[in-house]
Amino acid sequence: MTTATDGAAAPLRILILDDEPIVCKRLKPAFQKMGHEVETFTDSNAALARLREARFDVVVTDLKMEGADGMQILNGAKDSAADTQVIVITGFATLETAKESYRKGAFDFIAKPFKLRDILDCVKRIEDKRRGLPTEAER
Amino acid sequence: MASGLMRRLAFWRPQRDVLPFTVLFKKFQSILERNNLILELMADMGDKLGGEYVFDSHYLVEVSEKLGDHVFKLISDYSILNQHQNADLFLAFERIRFAIQEELAGHRILTAGEPILDMAAIGHEQSELVGAKMATLGDIRNRLELAAPDGFVITTRTFFDFFQRNNLFARTEAAEQYWRDQDLDALRRLAEEMQQRILTAIMPRRLGQRILAAFDDLARRQGQRRLLVALRSSAWGEDGGSSFAGQYQSVLNVGRDQLIDAYRRVVASAYSFETWQYRLSKGFHESETAMAVGCQVVIEGPASGVLHTYAPHRADGAMLVNASWGLCAPIVQGDQPADTMVLGRKPPYPLLDLAIADKPRQLVPAADGGTEWQAVPGHLQRAVSMTPEQMATLARAAMRIERYYKRPQEIEWTFGPDGTLTILQSRPLRLQEEAAVPGRELVEATRDAEIVFSGRGLVVQQGIAVGRVHRVDNDEDLAAFPYGAILLSRYTSPRYAAVMPIARGIITDVGSHTGHMATLAREYRLPTLVNTEVATSLLRTGDEITLDATQNIVYRGIIVALHHFQLIEEEVFEDSYEYRLLGRLLKCISPLHLLDPQSESFTPAACRTYHDITRFIHEKAVEELIHLSEKQGARHLSAPKRLETGLPLGLMVIDGGGGTTCAPESPTLTVEQIACLPLRELLQGMAGMGMWCTEPVAVDLGSFMSSFTRTVPASLSGPGAIGRNLAVVLAHYMNINMRLGYHFTIIDAYLAEAVNDNSIYFRFLGGVTGFIRRSRRVAFIAKVLARYDFRVEVHGDLVVGRLKKLSLPRMVQRMRMLGGLIGYTRQLDVRMHADSDIDHHVAHFLQVMQEQERTGG
Repeated sequence: MTTATDGAAAPLRILILDDEPIVCKRLKPAFQKMGHEVETFTDSNAALARLREARFDVVVTDLKMEGADGMQILNGAKDSAADTQVIVITGFATLETAKESYRKGAFDFIAKPFKLRDILDCVKRIEDKRRGLPTEAER
Repeated sequence: MASGLMRRLAFWRPQRDVLPFTVLFKKFQSILERNNLILELMADMGDKLGGEYVFDSHYLVEVSEKLGDHVFKLISDYSILNQHQNADLFLAFERIRFAIQEELAGHRILTAGEPILDMAAIGHEQSELVGAKMATLGDIRNRLELAAPDGFVITTRTFFDFFQRNNLFARTEAAEQYWRDQDLDALRRLAEEMQQRILTAIMPRRLGQRILAAFDDLARRQGQRRLLVALRSSAWGEDGGSSFAGQYQSVLNVGRDQLIDAYRRVVASAYSFETWQYRLSKGFHESETAMAVGCQVVIEGPASGVLHTYAPHRADGAMLVNASWGLCAPIVQGDQPADTMVLGRKPPYPLLDLAIADKPRQLVPAADGGTEWQAVPGHLQRAVSMTPEQMATLARAAMRIERYYKRPQEIEWTFGPDGTLTILQSRPLRLQEEAAVPGRELVEATRDAEIVFSGRGLVVQQGIAVGRVHRVDNDEDLAAFPYGAILLSRYTSPRYAAVMPIARGIITDVGSHTGHMATLAREYRLPTLVNTEVATSLLRTGDEITLDATQNIVYRGIIVALHHFQLIEEEVFEDSYEYRLLGRLLKCISPLHLLDPQSESFTPAACRTYHDITRFIHEKAVEELIHLSEKQGARHLSAPKRLETGLPLGLMVIDGGGGTTCAPESPTLTVEQIACLPLRELLQGMAGMGMWCTEPVAVDLGSFMSSFTRTVPASLSGPGAIGRNLAVVLAHYMNINMRLGYHFTIIDAYLAEAVNDNSIYFRFLGGVTGFIRRSRRVAFIAKVLARYDFRVEVHGDLVVGRLKKLSLPRMVQRMRMLGGLIGYTRQLDVRMHADSDIDHHVAHFLQVMQEQERTGG
């Protein structure tokens, strides 16, 4: 038997951006339940403005949106804090967009629809990485 | 030579140009492939209802388009195969596609649906038609099996007809402009005008008659000559994200003569200045305004009141009850003294605090309609208005409603004259802001808890459940299922529906997203985790656990914080627009109405869903291929030959080249003349292993009755009654379509020395008997296939097994096994009386197979 998490990890500050409110509504409580602090946006320009004024540990962003798109958010997040990890989620997943996301430094790229557990695991990996634990790939 | 044959046969060549058989056979294969793709896409969509996936409306648009595209091409392929235009199939398709597009476009003006719905037929699926309030009461009555007032709903369909007939929508849009300009005087004038117009509007004659007829039916049911009813608003959006509490009017104690007038009054209340202003301030569009009206029997109870299932400001883990003598309305208004009780949230729901109020008067229904105040007899004025038993009954019902809606509830209730608890209304309770963010205690609570297992299983229905485990292996266990327990079992079974209203969750070792039990668990919104593989080995009856069926974790012990967190989430997944939209889309896609190919209603015009079209085409394509090869065979290849065998297969074999050794013109074929390797091995498996029980198995009454409910004619019930089955063969390839007794089996196989080309596709679609046994049979087949390395998918009655790239001897062994399996399964469902039979039959089958292999059968 194991316990849920090892040691007391500091909560992560997570920004979620998706122009479909349902995605924010589903993700927010799931991350909160893990103890993280969450802000959600459905407007990408508002999210960009927020990224300029505050630091986030994790940014979860949709790719295709009105206004600034996911790539701009990715750049914006990396510009304001290089160690911010960005997870790109998209309903228009292609090999090209995936490659481009990774090239620009995305932590992970997840095609919609996805299992809630997949993205929670993804954030878990970011947590492990921040605490200097070996990630699954390195284990 | 072929051309000579053509010339000789030219005089009975059909009018149309005939395509070569190979082309037609390719079309047939493409129909089968598309058929499978469609079934898989439908199953994928169904999986999304469980809450395990995050999806958005883009997904719904995309998957609907993809499905429509496949169905369209399926009809096109079929049109080439049967060389007809199939206009009625295309029409059926267009009807369904149009309905789907309207749903996706969010056109909320209802063009379909009943103008009146009985309470017995209502649930949350109809919330567009009956409004939120009545949909909730329908769930409470029909799903949770609690009492709610008998009655009917005048639906939003009637509202739209009534408004359109009187041209009442013409002016409503102006309100949005007034609101943007903040011209409240104009809005006030508009509101007065609207109300006046509604109160004097003409009720279309037909509709008026329908409403009165429903009233008369209700009066007959109640055995009352002069029935009085309550009319209650049930609008879109009401009881949803915005409370609208008390904004709309209810009219109590209405007789037949005042019914239509009272309807006008309730509807007009949607356009009072205050309500309209509230609605606009909440951002509702005018197109989102529609009102259904509930027509309910007035329950004249000695005591009634309001309960809040959650009262953090009073005490942790407590609920709050206000109660008084007479009707409930004054307590809802909050302007009359009422007794206050604080009860525990856990059984036995102890009374934690009690404050008795002085209750000098009570509201009661007046004899000639309306209500009136009455003095309360002296000895009751300072007496508690509820007995301890009533408190416990109420508390238990309240927790059941809260669990279903995953939200704290505000519940209006009354105890009727016969002492039965009746739920009058239930709506989500808005909690204080401070409770809305989970504190560190949640993280700490889950961090310190022992995890029994995590990351295992499939989420069939998301949610959190806390309670004691009760393991179910047989009917006795099920009969003894205690209230509020979490069901633990090896397998999923639709029999568990019997305890779903009292269960808190379900965990199984084996199971899939789309079984029958999954559908039922979603219906009851019961947190359900299946296919965990290990649950029964780690948990036992009596263990206290917390099941988190959002993250696939089972904790030992009860984690209250986790359970409470669920209650304060911003939105319940099942209440989201996307969830409801998916449900409505699936209604146009999934249900199968065309069950029996022999029935007269097995026609293109009867197709109401994509599934119907798909089923129709599959059945007809097989027939068509047999027919085509009979017609054309002499020209392009050998005519279809009837296989002579002792087995009742009714198998027609078409040789595409190298599959048989008999003369091309021969009408029959012996087993020895089969050169096609996959078919030879399959038949060997069927015949050689004593698997084929040719005697009809006694069908007991239960399965016989359920055969009737699926409207399969009695002539099909015996194994002698088989249609013509079809195999298309080459030397190394076989495609076989078989309907045997009740089942439909397809095998598409290529077996040769070159390992990389080897493949077997096996598909089994179940038949007639009650779905409990069908699901046992499906479990049996899936287990056997998995033992033989097939990649297995189960969707309800459908089992698909795929196997690729094994060496020839191993492929041969598996073809024989499939032969044995088809024989063994033919009547198996009528022999499966308990879940334990599944393992028994798997063991027995494997044993027979092993013996056969040893003896070199």
